[in-house]
Amino acid sequence: MSKKECIAMLLAGGQGSRLGALTSKIAKPAVSFGGKYRIIDFTLSNCANSGIDTVGVLTQYRPYRLHAYLGSGAAWDLDELGGGVSILPPYATQDGGAWYAGTADAVTQNLDYIKSHDPKYVLILSGDALYRMDYRAMLATHVDNNADLTVAVMPVPWEDASRFGILTADEDKRIQKFTEKPEKPDSNLASMGIYIFTADFLIKTLEEDALDQRSSHDFGGDIIPKALADGKRLFVHEYNGFWKDVGTIASYHETSMDLLGADPLFDLYDNETPIMSNDTTRPPHYIGPDGRVDDCLVSNGCKIMGTARHSILSTDAVVEERAIVEDSVLLPGAVVKSGAHVSRAILGENSIVEEGVKLGSVDITKDTAVVGNDVVIGKGE
Amino acid sequence: MINRKAIGYITANYSGSTPSKLLEDRPLASVPFIGRYRLIDFPLSNMTNAGIKTVGLVMPGNYRSIIDHVGHGKDWMLDRKKGGLFLLPGNPYGTTKRGMRFLLRDIISNKSLFQRSDKPYVVMMGSNIIFNMDLNAIIDAHEASGAGITMIYVKAERAHNDINALNIGDRGRVQSIKVGCEYGDNKFLDCFIINRELLLEIIESYKSADYLDLFEAIAGDFDRIDVCSYEFKGLAVGIFNEETYYHRSMEMLDPATNDQLFMKDRPIRTKAHDAPPAKYSSGSNATNSLISAGCQIEGTVRGSILSRGVTVASGASVTNSIVMQGVKIETGARVENAIVDKNNIIPANTELRGTPDSILVIGKAPIE
Repeated sequence: MSKKECIAMLLAGGQGSRLGALTSKIAKPAVSFGGKYRIIDFTLSNCANSGIDTVGVLTQYRPYRLHAYLGSGAAWDLDELGGGVSILPPYATQDGGAWYAGTADAVTQNLDYIKSHDPKYVLILSGDALYRMDYRAMLATHVDNNADLTVAVMPVPWEDASRFGILTADEDKRIQKFTEKPEKPDSNLASMGIYIFTADFLIKTLEEDALDQRSSHDFGGDIIPKALADGKRLFVHEYNGFWKDVGTIASYHETSMDLLGADPLFDLYDNETPIMSNDTTRPPHYIGPDGRVDDCLVSNGCKIMGTARHSILSTDAVVEERAIVEDSVLLPGAVVKSGAHVSRAILGENSIVEEGVKLGSVDITKDTAVVGNDVVIGKGE
Repeated sequence: MINRKAIGYITANYSGSTPSKLLEDRPLASVPFIGRYRLIDFPLSNMTNAGIKTVGLVMPGNYRSIIDHVGHGKDWMLDRKKGGLFLLPGNPYGTTKRGMRFLLRDIISNKSLFQRSDKPYVVMMGSNIIFNMDLNAIIDAHEASGAGITMIYVKAERAHNDINALNIGDRGRVQSIKVGCEYGDNKFLDCFIINRELLLEIIESYKSADYLDLFEAIAGDFDRIDVCSYEFKGLAVGIFNEETYYHRSMEMLDPATNDQLFMKDRPIRTKAHDAPPAKYSSGSNATNSLISAGCQIEGTVRGSILSRGVTVASGASVTNSIVMQGVKIETGARVENAIVDKNNIIPANTELRGTPDSILVIGKAPIE
């Protein structure tokens, strides 16, 4: 196969257990987000918009929906000759078979895939955050520094720094120290979990890590500390745009709300770097004679006969007559029946809130209400 | 399941008998319909939903917009190794004659499509009357009847000059066809099923009359050919000129009507785009409207249909209008009883007003 400059390995095997009911039957990267998208769309679109044409997607937890959604990769223009999207689930060998034991192990088990493309650089990504990034800029940083490994970082508020993996760099942006959730941080540069490795270094490092009995085979926990200890050339690439993890119910809800408003923190309407998705062809949405829509994103196939305020209505969501939806996210096919009132809630795919039911509260001190996929909420529940 | 019985043939070169600004650089078949669709999506989707995997599409002379939209048929899963979509040359001047959709010359010049097939039937469709139909049920009925041709019709709910009516006799046999139909007539949907062998015979027998419509050519032979009929009970929407285009589009604002064309088990497919969900600002006011992805609404929209990427600024209003892709309606502008074609900018505080009896039509804006 022809030599590639840079290929991507996208870690998409996680369960996303902190998303609770939303990931009971579906892997986190395949969870619906932003009306017509799924979480993995943002990373795949970044790849396509950065000119990366070869992406290995490492899957593991409940992969069917994710695999079906990825298809040939055509939705992201990633159906490429000699590249494109390749789905890489755990597999059996003559010696048995095993689940991916950690982020680094998942890549180790697919070194054959990497070697077949013979890239100079390998970009390691995870499919669970909302951000727009041109990976070419990061690759330029990596090449300029003649680095073995470059870690994308973003400045976070000092008071939050102890919640992140913090990197301490010198004046030349060379990494001096990596501390997971430090109590007393000496830097506010948080790792975004995005790495570029020089391929030869990655292959050698992973092959060594695989033999290390004490390693938990994790990029943050094992690979980076070892490379630092070995005196390798590790640099940071600083990113200053919008980046948010959508890994918990609270952050999922908050990040969804960030899409709304006159000047949203994340603009879906940026035409230069469009977010692409594997669209279902549904008709334009219909707003009824008494429908009322205020500060919302509304997707194809929706029917809004009642009121929707400051909410995200995904494909085929329905708000019936006299129903009210506010500060909420309706996932594809969710139905709010007539007279129901839904506040600060996430309604799973094809879930139903029955007539007259009140769900959730505008009180922001209370948890966001979550209704799982296909669940019906009747009165008295 | 892949259809083992039929291939498809769609004519997209009927160009309408009345001129329109909407048709200056596109055929009727690629006129946008309720925002995200084009008329050609309907015949293609009906074929696809019946599992038909070989479809010939007869092109008009001004085929640019059709090629742009249909491509190699990927969105209808017609980019196949076996079969697939065949773009066929058609009469470049189109078939403007009233009632003529299946020009014999086009059928003859594309006979290789029918010769190469091993399927017993050909489903033939125009693209001006749209519907969502279970073609397999009709193919089965055709097969059971033993007829040579089965013509599909609905009971006409209004008179129409451009549509043909079937005169049906005993046992559903079609006796004759007349141009133009009245209320209650059997309105022909420009959709029929024909035995492929019979079609090849007709091509041989009527070569010298190739300037005629297929049904004009065989008018004298209906007994011999055994032309049967099938009544379709669903909604069929005929679009031939600005007036029918506007009114039939507006009728789609009724959810009960809309549901007869768009159903989840037989989806209408179209070219996919990456437009984000429509965005409504605080203070926007949209009612009784069909609004496509990528629209940004700050102002007022009432009783209207908006295509992809239309923006309605604050203080602007759109009422009883059809607004096509990429139109920008600036602050304080008012659009009423109008059809505004692609990419127009309606400057701040201007008014575009037609009346319910005389719809104002604004042609496509030139590309700058």
